[in-house]
Amino acid sequence: MASTSSSTSVDERERKRKRADSTPSVGAGAEAQPSKWRTRREHEIYSSKLFEALRLVRGGGSTSASPSSAPARGRAVREAADRALAVAARGRSRWSRAILASRRRRLQAAHRARLRAPACPSRHPSAAAAEGKKAPALARKAKVLGRLVPGCQKLPFPALLSEASDYIKALEMQVRAMTALAEVLASVSSSSGPGSASAGSSSSSPA
Amino acid sequence: MSSRRSRSRQSGSSRITDEQISDLVSKLQDLLPEARLRGNDRVPSSRVLQETCSYIRSLHREVDDLSERLSELLATSDMSTAQAAVIRSLLM
Repeated sequence: MASTSSSTSVDERERKRKRADSTPSVGAGAEAQPSKWRTRREHEIYSSKLFEALRLVRGGGSTSASPSSAPARGRAVREAADRALAVAARGRSRWSRAILASRRRRLQAAHRARLRAPACPSRHPSAAAAEGKKAPALARKAKVLGRLVPGCQKLPFPALLSEASDYIKALEMQVRAMTALAEVLASVSSSSGPGSASAGSSSSSPA
Repeated sequence: MSSRRSRSRQSGSSRITDEQISDLVSKLQDLLPEARLRGNDRVPSSRVLQETCSYIRSLHREVDDLSERLSELLATSDMSTAQAAVIRSLLM
């Protein structure tokens, strides 16, 4: 009996240590989720992924349709950023899977997705018109929210709320990372040469 | 709310309580930037949803603006020095 109790306490301690060490590796648990998008490590992982994706966007930009138009390049950057964000979610949220799946679907059959898209919005307004204004404001707003978060249109209400909260945290991290990246790039292009302020520290982030 | 309750009873094995929903709504509310300004208890959930939608839309807009800015910066910058600067900023 004593051995089993000690082993379970050891298990618990190991689990707690794992959760503290590497929050991304733990699957369940609400306390793992909020800190997930706020750790510096997640920020670094996302920033490096983002920069890699942006490099590819820049490199392949000359071969795509309109290389010199700013909106097309901006859209490509936005899509790369969203993809990197979805990858950083490690497939554990519905919106991230939807982002990655929609991109793959779009690459494979462009017009098929376009044929599907007009069918869905036409169905929604007719349902609302049939109920009249009797549809509760909460359900209407939940539908709007479901359209804003990718891949969450038909989710039940509680799942939609949790997806939305995770998505908001991820978006905030995306904004922070892109802002920092823009500042770094702006300082690079404005300064005449290398040698910006502080030197790099000795610690290198593990792979 | 009654329609939602019946829908949840039909849908899954787990009974989704109002308490769970209000818990999720309060968590969402804590994420919103305006949550720190007003008292958190008195906000109805429809208002929280509305604020959430507008907050997500503003975040999307911010990401779009940042993407524009980044695309311009990337087009004009020299990749090797940019890469060095990015890695240096990540290591700090």
